[in-house]
Amino acid sequence: MTSVGTGYDLSNSVFSPDGRNFQVEYASKAVENGSTTVGLKCKDGVVFGVEKIITNKLLVPGKNRKIQTIERHIGCCYSGLIPDGKHLVNRGREEAINFKNTYGKPISVSAMSERLSQYVQAYTLYNSVRPFGISTIFGGVLKNENGGNDKPELFMLDPNGSCWGYKGIATGKGRQTAKAELEKLITSEIYDLSAFTARQAVQEVARILYLAHEDNKDKDFELELSWCSLSETDGLHKFVPKDIYEEAIEHAKIEVGLADSDDSDEDEDMEPEAEE
Amino acid sequence: MMTGQHGSQPIQHQFNPYSDNGGTLLGIAGEDFAILASDTRQSVDYSINTRLSHKIKAISPSLTAEFKAQNPKMIGTKNSILFGTNGFSADGDALTRQFEENWKWYVHDQNKSAMSMQSAARNVQHLLYGKRFFPYYVHTIICGLDEEGKGCLYSFDPVGSYEREQCRVGGAGASLIMPFLDNQVNFKNQYIPGTNSTERRKVDYLSLDECLKLVKDAFTSVTERHITVGDGLEIFIIDKNGVRCEYHDLKKD
Amino acid sequence: MNHDPYSWGRPSDSMYGEYNREIANAPTSMEQHTSSSNFNEHTTRPIVTGTSVVAIKYKTGVVIAADNLASYGSLLRFQGVERLHKVGKTTVVGISGDISDMQYLVKVLDQLSMDNNYDNDEYSDNVDELQPSYIFEYLSNLMYHRRSKMNPLWNALVVSGVDSKTGEPFLQYVNLLGVKYASPSIATGFGAHLAVPLLRRLADSEEQAAELTLEEAKKGIRDSMRVLFYRDTRSSKNYSLAIIDKDAGITYDNNVDVEDMSWKFAKDIKGYGTQKV
Repeated sequence: MTSVGTGYDLSNSVFSPDGRNFQVEYASKAVENGSTTVGLKCKDGVVFGVEKIITNKLLVPGKNRKIQTIERHIGCCYSGLIPDGKHLVNRGREEAINFKNTYGKPISVSAMSERLSQYVQAYTLYNSVRPFGISTIFGGVLKNENGGNDKPELFMLDPNGSCWGYKGIATGKGRQTAKAELEKLITSEIYDLSAFTARQAVQEVARILYLAHEDNKDKDFELELSWCSLSETDGLHKFVPKDIYEEAIEHAKIEVGLADSDDSDEDEDMEPEAEE
Repeated sequence: MMTGQHGSQPIQHQFNPYSDNGGTLLGIAGEDFAILASDTRQSVDYSINTRLSHKIKAISPSLTAEFKAQNPKMIGTKNSILFGTNGFSADGDALTRQFEENWKWYVHDQNKSAMSMQSAARNVQHLLYGKRFFPYYVHTIICGLDEEGKGCLYSFDPVGSYEREQCRVGGAGASLIMPFLDNQVNFKNQYIPGTNSTERRKVDYLSLDECLKLVKDAFTSVTERHITVGDGLEIFIIDKNGVRCEYHDLKKD
Repeated sequence: MNHDPYSWGRPSDSMYGEYNREIANAPTSMEQHTSSSNFNEHTTRPIVTGTSVVAIKYKTGVVIAADNLASYGSLLRFQGVERLHKVGKTTVVGISGDISDMQYLVKVLDQLSMDNNYDNDEYSDNVDELQPSYIFEYLSNLMYHRRSKMNPLWNALVVSGVDSKTGEPFLQYVNLLGVKYASPSIATGFGAHLAVPLLRRLADSEEQAAELTLEEAKKGIRDSMRVLFYRDTRSSKNYSLAIIDKDAGITYDNNVDVEDMSWKFAKDIKGYGTQKV
């Protein structure tokens, strides 16, 4: 690392002579090793998926949820330092409350993106604070009757405070594979935003996460899937129901060649509902 | 502000933070027991809000499985405090809740299983006097057993003045029942027959059955004569075995 | 000219007499608010109001109703105001009294259910749905707290519902003083005088309420709303009716009309109105 020892990497509020802020770049490093996280837009909503590496056999399967809800219609997942993410979600909830109190209707996803990115950006400015060690994917759909436009929105917010809208996006350890797959999907003919359903999106997200896990095969993992869709959840952010979840996992395993018959790859199918 | 000018003061409509929710509360301390009773009507003006409200709470250490198995009808141990309030019910509920919280903290902080009646009484005084200039509009009576196991009763006025007594009535029926209790419990104006009213009858403890009879008579009588008293009667009894509660119907008119 | 900035823009003493510096020292509205010599600006009466809420328990739930009118004194100010509010999955809160305070309460309740829901859907770690008893506890504390600050929310609330774990019907009341109670039937305002006698005829005790059928309960509420429309000048024909049942959940109709009225007696009343005697 070129920065180490130069002294320019010790504080937020100082640029290096070549115009970089090293603390923020280190924060991105924290993200690069985080768990793979995917967000994908569909016809009338968004789907989130997180790969949860099982770091400890003692953890209760299906518990310790990672995907969170910011507002009734906004879901959120992130990779990097988990407590940083929880803090950011709390801030998002406060912003949602504040917006509703001021304007009397729920906040749109884009307005939420503005507020969250301003907040994260502020943590790159002062030497007394450290930037957020997370990349955050959030999105949802605000119904017309609640003052929205029935259009799904999806964003990713980085530690430096930049926030972009996407059709599909991934972050964390397996992001290279996942992003390549997303690009393939989005340029293919299956992906027509006027027809691509939430259920299809769930299957694709599950498949992509299974593929992205291939490089990390020695570790067991669990999948977490949530969605926010006009047709499936009435615009609310919810976890994917058990039957659809299991179907998506089955489909994903077949796609990546992990079908049940070949049981050399043992317990890939840790389900959230599996008993403790 | 302007002074002395006629009509210069604006007429202020003030919010009245109190109401009178009626009802009567009665306690008697016996030799080795105490009872605390109240009607279950809650009213305001001429309306009956409900026929079943609870003005007394038994504050007890938690009951062990063994205790419950041996005494299925008991709702508290002998170390319980019967806490009764009467008057403005919102303040009564708030006071009960405050006291219960203090009781729990006391038990934890002092590493004890319960609070003595003496300490409880002083604590209630602090709660009441703490709101001396915005009082809890309630008459409070607490019952239990003292440190010698004797029946014990403390009664309080709304701002915390208190006294240990053998018996006390609070609330709407106080003026009707208290003289009756003076006569029947403390034997006031009772003289030995044949002494030409010169020798007073000596005070002595009443038995539990005698006390229960007095309580029921008192409540049926006051139900006849007072409109805010009636519907039901809850009698809490504490003795060396623990706390139990009886319910009797009163007239609902 | 006096070059002291303090004197800029002030009329000259020689022309108008000495400047009254008391004007500059007059309290701001904020100071007025805190100073004890000025009267307080807390609510001392309701402005736009909703009339009675009536409710009764039956075997497996609760029926609750409130009309859709908001009055401004004797003016029928707003029609189509909803006074029954769903909170969580098994609770309906009926609110009478000041409408602006009601709207504040609705905002508070919405936030309450959202706080409960963030990490608490059917899949998450600590499933603990909002029960009617939780909501009542919250509201009764809020009402008593506000009355103790001498700044009450000018309402009477009826919290109705079923406990989603035990299936037990729930019905409790709390008002601007923080006075609370439970009863098999509850009505606020005029309803306490006109509806409660009708409802107590159906169920005067919990035991009787546990025997009451939904149809009997509904009829009791319908009769109550009719009598209230006959006699309460601040009531409206149009009302909302909610049924909270342990099996069927919340059934909700916000457009019910008072039916089977009979005004026959009116033609014999002389001396009022426009008719010639």
